[in-house]
Amino acid sequence: MDASVTLERKLQGFQLVAQEKLQAILCSIPGKKELILEPELIKPLEHVCTASWLKLKGIQRIYKYDVKQRLPRSADQVHIYMIRSQLSTYQSLLRQMQPLAMETPHESTDMALQLFHIICVPSCYAYFHMLLEQAGLWGLVQLHHYNWDFIYLDRGVLSLELPNLYECLYLQNNTSGLPAVAQSLRLLQMLCGKPTVMLSFGSYSTQLVQLLQALGSVPEPSTAADFGAWIIIDRDRDYASSLLTPAIYAGLLLEVFQLRAGEILIDNAQNKIESQKLKLLQGKIPGVTPKGKTSVIRLNSACDEIYGDIRYKHFAQASSLVHAQVKALGLELQKLNDLQLEEMHDYVARKLPKLTELKAKVLLHLSASEIVIQMLGNYRRLQALEEDILNNVSRKRLLTEIDELLTTDGQRYNTLRLFCLMHLCVGVVPEELQSFARNYCNLFGHRNLGVFQQLAQAGLLPMLLSDRKTSTKLLANLPLPKFQQTEFQANANRLKLLTSSEDAAEANAASNPQLVLSKSCPSFVFNGMYIPLAAQLCSIMLNTNNAEQLANKLAMIEGLQLSVAGQAYTPKSYASQFKAATTIVPSDVFPLRQRNLFVFVIGGANYAEIAACDFVAKLSGAQITVASDSILAGSDLIAAAFNN
Amino acid sequence: MEAQFESTDEHYWNRSSRAAFSFDDDDEIDVAIDDGRLGTGLSSAIFNDDAVSEASFDNSSALGTLNHLSIKSILSDEALNLVLQEQTLDDHVMPKGVTPEEELKLLRRQIQSTLYSPNLEATAQKLLHGKTVPLEMFKSLHEKEQLLDTLLVNGGDAVIGVLLFLKRTLNATQFHNILQSRPKALEHYLSYLRQSGDVSNYIVELQRFGRHQEAALKQFQSALACSDLSTRKQQLQRLIDAYASAGVGVIALYEQVFSAALKLQQLQEKEKDIVAVLTTQPTPIEVLYGLCTQHKNWKEQDMLKLSSPQRFAAEQDISPAQYEWTAMNERAHAQAYADLECIFERVANWNPLKPKQFHISFDLALAVLRLHELQAPNTVLQLFLSKMSNTTEKLALAQRVKCIKAVIDAMVGLKQQQELLHLKLTLPERSEEQFYCENALKTLQSKRWTTDNIKLKL
Repeated sequence: MDASVTLERKLQGFQLVAQEKLQAILCSIPGKKELILEPELIKPLEHVCTASWLKLKGIQRIYKYDVKQRLPRSADQVHIYMIRSQLSTYQSLLRQMQPLAMETPHESTDMALQLFHIICVPSCYAYFHMLLEQAGLWGLVQLHHYNWDFIYLDRGVLSLELPNLYECLYLQNNTSGLPAVAQSLRLLQMLCGKPTVMLSFGSYSTQLVQLLQALGSVPEPSTAADFGAWIIIDRDRDYASSLLTPAIYAGLLLEVFQLRAGEILIDNAQNKIESQKLKLLQGKIPGVTPKGKTSVIRLNSACDEIYGDIRYKHFAQASSLVHAQVKALGLELQKLNDLQLEEMHDYVARKLPKLTELKAKVLLHLSASEIVIQMLGNYRRLQALEEDILNNVSRKRLLTEIDELLTTDGQRYNTLRLFCLMHLCVGVVPEELQSFARNYCNLFGHRNLGVFQQLAQAGLLPMLLSDRKTSTKLLANLPLPKFQQTEFQANANRLKLLTSSEDAAEANAASNPQLVLSKSCPSFVFNGMYIPLAAQLCSIMLNTNNAEQLANKLAMIEGLQLSVAGQAYTPKSYASQFKAATTIVPSDVFPLRQRNLFVFVIGGANYAEIAACDFVAKLSGAQITVASDSILAGSDLIAAAFNN
Repeated sequence: MEAQFESTDEHYWNRSSRAAFSFDDDDEIDVAIDDGRLGTGLSSAIFNDDAVSEASFDNSSALGTLNHLSIKSILSDEALNLVLQEQTLDDHVMPKGVTPEEELKLLRRQIQSTLYSPNLEATAQKLLHGKTVPLEMFKSLHEKEQLLDTLLVNGGDAVIGVLLFLKRTLNATQFHNILQSRPKALEHYLSYLRQSGDVSNYIVELQRFGRHQEAALKQFQSALACSDLSTRKQQLQRLIDAYASAGVGVIALYEQVFSAALKLQQLQEKEKDIVAVLTTQPTPIEVLYGLCTQHKNWKEQDMLKLSSPQRFAAEQDISPAQYEWTAMNERAHAQAYADLECIFERVANWNPLKPKQFHISFDLALAVLRLHELQAPNTVLQLFLSKMSNTTEKLALAQRVKCIKAVIDAMVGLKQQQELLHLKLTLPERSEEQFYCENALKTLQSKRWTTDNIKLKL
């Protein structure tokens, strides 16, 4: 163990561990190996190893897994399938293998000589064995776990690349994916040591901390812990930061382009926004479809210095920086004309390749930001609408405006997302949902009726009840929502997340004058409207001097749990422990001595959160790493409700 | 099987959409694929779809720096071994270098726990770590329940694993009792059924546990998923009848959508030619669009013909705004601009003798912008712009869509004489717009002596 390895390098080291793990599996399988990959796994796997590395480990060829037909196998080959541990994928693979059960019963069933292997990412569920047995494939096929743990996407950004965890946990209440997440966090403990304190917010977060303890202790590194605190948050505790449209560059890129394992695909012909609209009503003259040209931007500041510069900047600022870069490069290239011949030689040999590379990158960002501008059309109007929703200004007008948006610019996910935001901040009554849902189904088809139930399950929409039940409690149905706060608003006010409403601004001015200055507030990620919960919790953790202070700041908020040295506390009970200190109690962990924080969001983080945390880190001289099971834009979150 | 493939090998590779990616630059592996074919057409683009991804797989500069980092410097051997050991599925393998006595002890313990008394904690712990554990020794109901409850505390995939075991080893009544008293377990079981695509069982279980609304939804979805139109119709009809007579009461919204969907299927059956141009399962708005294309007489509202857009909109409960927007888009697309006025005309219900009035259910500015996008002529734009009451907005919008006449109208409204003069100079000589501008200026000047000046004197 080397004490000189920096935190950032350690986090990059997850790749090495992932390689070791994969190697252990591949090397345990003898024979001529062929790897058959589920297409979606390719991109994340590129972050783990190279194709030549796989070859070195004895893989002769790699194929894409095709649901429709089975790959033929010659007698001496061993087929290794690698799929996500999703029941439907697994089942279709078993169906495909079914013919195997009928043939060649005389083949050896020795465990070491199996000709078929299935590697499930991130874990092979317990009942997969039972299904294997039922399919008659027991003994012919061997199953393996493989979890690549955290993938280092960018400085301060880690992802597990588990795209369906949100859906499983929040829409179906199925916790099957949690143990794998806990395993990855355990590995983080082995690499970076145990934090002094863990703050969890939400039921799944609490469960995850429990799981972590249930998995048993780990051999810790000899060096001091790298993180002072871990903050684990359930996605449903801060839906707002996913539902609001971000104002920063990286966030907006994700609004428009599809993200796959840390890179976005820029396609002139289609993008995320356009594909959400009904084709017939797009207002386009046919025949002028632009040619599909695709290119890729890696969202990694180490390979793209331009992205590194502008990733967390406000979009307007970022795009003007890109324009300035283009100009500067143009000037640089003009210089070429004034050069002497010898100088020219030197220039072409040394500087030009770098310049052309830079130019290619700048042009990519330029075209990306142009498409963003084009797609977000009336961004100001949207922002104004979101701000009014957030601060609950004239509820009736908000509903009509959302309805008008649905009619004239209906987007499958984004319009629904606004409506969900409305429910979160203002509270929507079932009747309002009903009329919205009618219009929505008219536009996008009746088959989407189930989506409303799914979103209600996630707490993003009100539950609809049949008439029989509602009629019994007439009083509750009276339209009196004005004096009530939604849970979101109550918590947001307690934590001072709403920065644009007037009373919040006053409250802020009183308690913390420098926060009001727009420059020094992490709410810039939402144009000064809202501070993501993760960022606010980070700054609370970093600026707290003792347990008492923390208890005051986090009072009245339910679902928060502190875990210090394996013991669970609420902020209050942790503080009171010191007051009534008759026995010897371990000393207060606040202020945090190790100032680096690790934030984990269960159910998908977003770039607004990440940027806001980055900002808090810079402000307080700490380092904050944000990790999640995947990076999701708001529309991806809503899209999860559309699966099946 | 192998022999069969050997003979057709060549053929297979030629017709199949499958192509392997060979790492060998020097073609060591004898696959009938060369680099040229890999880059084109159907060959699956694994790891080589474009230069960027190739670069990223060949380890980018960022990942390349990792070469200096060794696994030893970040993780101790002990930890690494633990990680690798935890990844394996079964831990029956005896550790190496164990003395015979210890081995005997281990084996005894194993037999004890597999054959006689199940060890609850150890089993739960193993399941949590994702190991394969036999569950058969959990025989009594109490033991089974205990096992489930222990696992439910922490959650995880083992919950479903144990539930399936319980289902296999208990009769239906007992199994359902267990689910009934444990909502979390029920959620897991339902999620399993749902993901496994076992729709009929899923619906049965939902109904069993009183979740009729979700069951209805699922039935509705599976009815719509039928590819054949007539079965789709039958299933929908059956669903509606079932819930009408069952007396469980279905959410009003669902009821509405169910019957709207049925009506849509009926229409599709009758008007095959209209729907044929659309996608396989068109949405109501798409059908409306299709009906608008076919519709001839826009002057009068037709509520009798089945294929009339107005009647369809009423039947499907399409909001006025949606109807107007769709019809406007379709008519503008078909360049039938004369019909646009009819779409936005309303006869006052309470007094049919009153003249028809212009009525629009969404922001006029949006209509103008969309018409401009669809390249509607200026006269049409002017017509819509003329209905705008706010003159400042009108001016800005008219300038944006470059509708000169509307700009002039707006300037007259704002009494911007200077600007009008300027505008006149920029217009081409003797063009229609220039005359229009001159006339506007004249009326503006003649009006100068009216109200404003009189007021001033007073």
